Amino acid sequence: MRPSNTVVIPPRRAFLADLGLGFTGLALGAMLARDGVGSPAAWTPPDGRPHFAPKAKSVIWLFMNGGVSHLESFDFKPEITKHAGKTIAETPYADVQNPAKLALERAPVPDANGLQRNTLFPLQTGFRRHGQSGLEISDLFPHTARNADRIAVVRSMWTTDSNHGAQTQFHTGRHMLDPAQPTLGGWVHYGLGSINDELPQFISIGFREYWNRKDGLYLGPAHDAVPLRIDPANPLDFGRPERPFSPEAQSIGFDLVGQLDRATAVEYPDDPATAARIASYELAHSMQQSVPRVVDFADESEETKRLYGLDLPHCRDFGMQLLAARRFVERGVRFIQIQHGGGGAGAWDAHGGLKANHSNLALAVDQPIGGLLEDLARRGLLDETIVLFATEFGRTPGTQGSDGRDHHPFAFSVWMAGGGIKGGTVHGATDELGFHAVEDRHYVTDIHATILKQLGLDSRKLEIPGRKRLAIDHGTPIDAILG
Amino acid sequence: MTPPRPANAALLAMALACAAISGRPVSAADAATWSGSLKGVFADRCFACHGALAQQGGLRLDTAAGLLAGGDAGPVVVPGDPAAGTLVARIVHADPAERMPPEGEGEPLSPEQIETLKAWIAAGCPAPADESPEADPREHWSFRPRVRPPVPLVAHPERVRNPIDAFLEAARERTGIAPQPEASREVLVRRLSLDLVGLPPQPEELAAILADESAEWYETLVDRLLADPRHGERWGRHWMDVWRYADWWGLGDQLRNSQKHIWHWRDWIVESLNADTGYDEMVRLMLAADEIAPDDLPKLRATGFLARNWFLFNRTPWMDETVEHVAKGFLGLSLNCAKCHDHKYDPLRQEDYYAMRAFFEPLHARLDVLPGEPDLERDGIPRVFDGVPDVPTFLFVRGEDTKPDTSRPILPGVAAVFDFSSVDVRPVRLPKSESQPARRPWVIDAHTAAAGRRLEAARAARDAAPSPASEQGVAIAAADLAAVERRGAAMRGAWSAEDLAGAGSDDTLSQAAAAAAREAVRAERTLVAARAKSTVLEAEAKLAAAAAEAKPAAEQAVADARIALGQAERSVAEPGEAFTPLVGARWTPTRFRNSSADDPPIPFPTTSTGRRSALAAWITAPGNPLTARVAANHLWARHMGRALVPTVFDFGRKGTPPDHPELLDWLASELVEGSVPGPHRHAWSMKRLHRLIVTSAAYRLQSTTAGNAEGERLDPDNRTWWRREPIRLESEAVRDGILALAGTLDARIGGAPVPAAEQPASTRRSLYFQHTDPDRNAFLTTFDGAGVKECYERERSIVPQQALALANAGFVHDAAARIAARIAPATTPVDDAAFIDRAFRAILGRPASAAESEACVAALSQWRAIESVPADGAVEPARIHLVWALLNHTDFVTLR
Repeated sequence: MRPSNTVVIPPRRAFLADLGLGFTGLALGAMLARDGVGSPAAWTPPDGRPHFAPKAKSVIWLFMNGGVSHLESFDFKPEITKHAGKTIAETPYADVQNPAKLALERAPVPDANGLQRNTLFPLQTGFRRHGQSGLEISDLFPHTARNADRIAVVRSMWTTDSNHGAQTQFHTGRHMLDPAQPTLGGWVHYGLGSINDELPQFISIGFREYWNRKDGLYLGPAHDAVPLRIDPANPLDFGRPERPFSPEAQSIGFDLVGQLDRATAVEYPDDPATAARIASYELAHSMQQSVPRVVDFADESEETKRLYGLDLPHCRDFGMQLLAARRFVERGVRFIQIQHGGGGAGAWDAHGGLKANHSNLALAVDQPIGGLLEDLARRGLLDETIVLFATEFGRTPGTQGSDGRDHHPFAFSVWMAGGGIKGGTVHGATDELGFHAVEDRHYVTDIHATILKQLGLDSRKLEIPGRKRLAIDHGTPIDAILG
Repeated sequence: MTPPRPANAALLAMALACAAISGRPVSAADAATWSGSLKGVFADRCFACHGALAQQGGLRLDTAAGLLAGGDAGPVVVPGDPAAGTLVARIVHADPAERMPPEGEGEPLSPEQIETLKAWIAAGCPAPADESPEADPREHWSFRPRVRPPVPLVAHPERVRNPIDAFLEAARERTGIAPQPEASREVLVRRLSLDLVGLPPQPEELAAILADESAEWYETLVDRLLADPRHGERWGRHWMDVWRYADWWGLGDQLRNSQKHIWHWRDWIVESLNADTGYDEMVRLMLAADEIAPDDLPKLRATGFLARNWFLFNRTPWMDETVEHVAKGFLGLSLNCAKCHDHKYDPLRQEDYYAMRAFFEPLHARLDVLPGEPDLERDGIPRVFDGVPDVPTFLFVRGEDTKPDTSRPILPGVAAVFDFSSVDVRPVRLPKSESQPARRPWVIDAHTAAAGRRLEAARAARDAAPSPASEQGVAIAAADLAAVERRGAAMRGAWSAEDLAGAGSDDTLSQAAAAAAREAVRAERTLVAARAKSTVLEAEAKLAAAAAEAKPAAEQAVADARIALGQAERSVAEPGEAFTPLVGARWTPTRFRNSSADDPPIPFPTTSTGRRSALAAWITAPGNPLTARVAANHLWARHMGRALVPTVFDFGRKGTPPDHPELLDWLASELVEGSVPGPHRHAWSMKRLHRLIVTSAAYRLQSTTAGNAEGERLDPDNRTWWRREPIRLESEAVRDGILALAGTLDARIGGAPVPAAEQPASTRRSLYFQHTDPDRNAFLTTFDGAGVKECYERERSIVPQQALALANAGFVHDAAARIAARIAPATTPVDDAAFIDRAFRAILGRPASAAESEACVAALSQWRAIESVPADGAVEPARIHLVWALLNHTDFVTLR
């Protein structure tokens, strides 16, 4: 693995500076040179170096599609069970439905989702204290709970979309009705570029169907995640020849292409595109081998595979994704984004049958997550890897139908571990019903800011002329959970 | 991004910050503190409201003098005393609403900046004497009238083929750079062919042109390519980027975005470009064909531009996209920045955003029946109409759609800065066939013909398998045809009565219409009875076949069906005049009110507000300073590889001004009204501008920097166009070119899009692939295919995934085999040297150099060492691999 900054070529002009990013930013450089406001000298694209000393190198971003109930996971609210069956108005906490407090919600589509649910629905699972920190975690997540002293739970998250556009919002920081923005992974890729030239640096695993699959947007398509399947035979689009073409014959071909392209580079001596294309073919040639090797677990021990639950049908799929994530982190990949729970509205969207829904899904993710944290820790990788467990919004304290909870943007929980995050921490709080985040409230971009800070990036320095971002896009790091 | 500061000012600011932190008194501040440091901070945070654009509170902060003069409420600083005066007090105010800049308008000043400001005030507000204020935004170059500039005289007239070169040569003369020599004929042919029709020249085409000894060979080729119908496909895709073409998508079968059959708009674009319809006319029709050319279905296709933004659940995203992209696409204005507040850089008020929205507020979408196809699920023209003319437009406070300012409806209008012409909105009376689209002569015929076809099908089914049920099928189809005919007749009768009402004969006609309506009702009820009869027959058949335990239920079903039949037969004779009209168009139902049910139907009105045709007239008025400049810039960018105004959708003050403003204005003037002799004389002819650009000397230069050290040294970014910019081909040109060389490209123009599942095997041109947010072709996307939401310029990334796609995609391998067989047919064997030469000419459009040939020969023998030659006379794998390698050559995806 090479450090990120060994391939920086001094920028003879802005165009060439992109080569320092392992040529992934070429389009961007051209665009920016065109977009440049004022003199081009006033702005140059990132050189792949952090802005200040980083605490973490990589991010494993675990996102639960559909909306995990904070009330059945990481935010214990016994008052709900105590007043179960009463309407909120009948409890001492009627003020949570004060319209002024509900005003942050923005529904892009007025439908039957995200409505006020008035009759309190008792907690569907028990909670216990875990670890030396005594962190309260629900009984649905015993393997995560075993790692209680490694994680920092933020219980005071809020967002504004009461429908599944909140998936987009968590990743970009903007409501679906606002202009589209790059996702955090896109920003990280843009800011830090490559630390391993044989693998894509921003990988997306799992379904992400609800929103536009583009991450880079105005940063350029070079900063889109590379979608990856955990299938050694076919991990990447166009990852191997779709017609018979032996590796030997293909190698001769790649060699010939390289020779011919270098002849062109002599004829067109100052053409950065030709230089970048030569490099891109060399990388593509090696990626065909390197990527399948990462998602092939032949060299992993049985003990490790069991740690991730690969021997258990209910958590095998997610376990394989997380084991692959660890293997990518080991090889220096920056950002691995994993969506759990299908496309569309998302599996965690428990409008009905919440107990069965969350029990089954927790069973699918919990052991792999616990295994991932322990595996990273014992390999010394957790210190430089941030693991995020997040979802789009919480779920209503009140019941929907007879046994479900509706979307709830006013409060939800996420947790982070590793990469300088202070384990065994609880930050922020909701009211007695878990209705509103009331202490140390955090909008979704505060999570972005926290991750960027650990990676050594200042989001304001990444900003591009002509693409003004707002204060809310940048967020504020949650220093209280940093070690 | 902080603007660069002179080193001494930066050091000073740092020193001040350190001093502030350490608590020591700050004293060292001078004029450079203002001009080098504070003024930049104020420009970022304050000028938008206290500068040339706006002077809130009568205060300007763009010069120290203005700052010292204060505002309506008097001075804001007391030089020498930072504790006095309101400026610092407001900047450090704890209440975010009182603080400057206010919350949401800008970020607060940092403590270091505040300390610097205080130190500067303490020092007595020293500033340079010769400060000039911020320029008047109304004087911004692109807001000023476009004036055709004189063509400059240059010292090297031999470098000038047309006036474009004179402008560029004048710029080069100031630097002393000589342009590169003209590219080889091979390179020029490939350049022109890919640029004008999006496909590489076929080998025989190239050979013919190379053999053309006429002096006019170049112009002949240009004119042939411009007249080629594939030109419309190539440039249609360019304009589809700018105009945001997208097929419909939703959740499963539910339409949520764009419109069904929106591809008719794509076909209109292609046809219009081939016909060289004026750019102004295209813009007018896209914005208002329903008002300008009502009832003209071919032209109504143009309004797909507006229908594309349709969104099932909410009008505001539809309107926002429309406002944003009408402004960006046609005018180069970032009006979208004024949705929540006044524009921070351009003289556009928040109200102007909503005044633009008001032009489109009445919009709804519908599908109109085409000749021969009455089923709107199968085909139809998607288009817009003013469905709700009286819905007011309100300004949304801070841009939030939950906070409309209902005290004052906003009327359609344009920003005051554009005073060259006013917008004249006059209601447009529509022909009756717009409000009653079934009046179009083909509609009733289409319904009748379809019913006739159904009858024929029923008869064929009966003849193939005679039975009581199939016999009844014929009876139903016959009743159906009769009902369609009667309904058509009744509709015609009603129209006659309506059209001649008041002409004296209304009584007779009304009576005839009423009689026809009764006939139609009777025919419809006869059809219902025929269907009821069929139900009886089915129930009886089931009863006959039923097992013993199912008999009672089956008997009950027969009894029920007989009762229903009896009712249906009796009702035939009952009075009634309310029949079901035949559909001539169908409103596309919205769900703005409640997403679980369609909104109440919107009728087709007899007048249109005239708002959009007024806007269209204003946008395309020759005096509009922006329209022609924006269009000419787009055309130039796609021919030349780089725009003259780099910010192609922002010609405002935040955008980048052109390197060659006179050239841009000359091109824009030439677009509106040609002055150079040649074909394509009509106003706003795009082919005229294409021809001018591609016949310029600048277009024909070599793209290499080799041999021009002066150019590389003095102008490495090629601002003076001393060489040509190489262009990475768009994704469509890469894929289409491969298929064209393989000889498999489907030449058909237009039609419904190729769905995702059929794309891997499809040989249609890439612009016909289904293009939606969820469904984009993987190969095209990898090569930076058009974004669905916005694509004013293609990205030109170079990533390894592109190498994987081109190296591994099945269609590339298939094409390689076909190309190898094409250039060396089994009937006329060739040796390796000839094969290599032909492959280079076919794929890269040029001969191989000796070194390249040598490398290819070596590779061929390496392949042969591991792969055997087929015995059956098929092309050997080694040669197919060689073709594959050339398809992966950097020059294959590059327009040199």
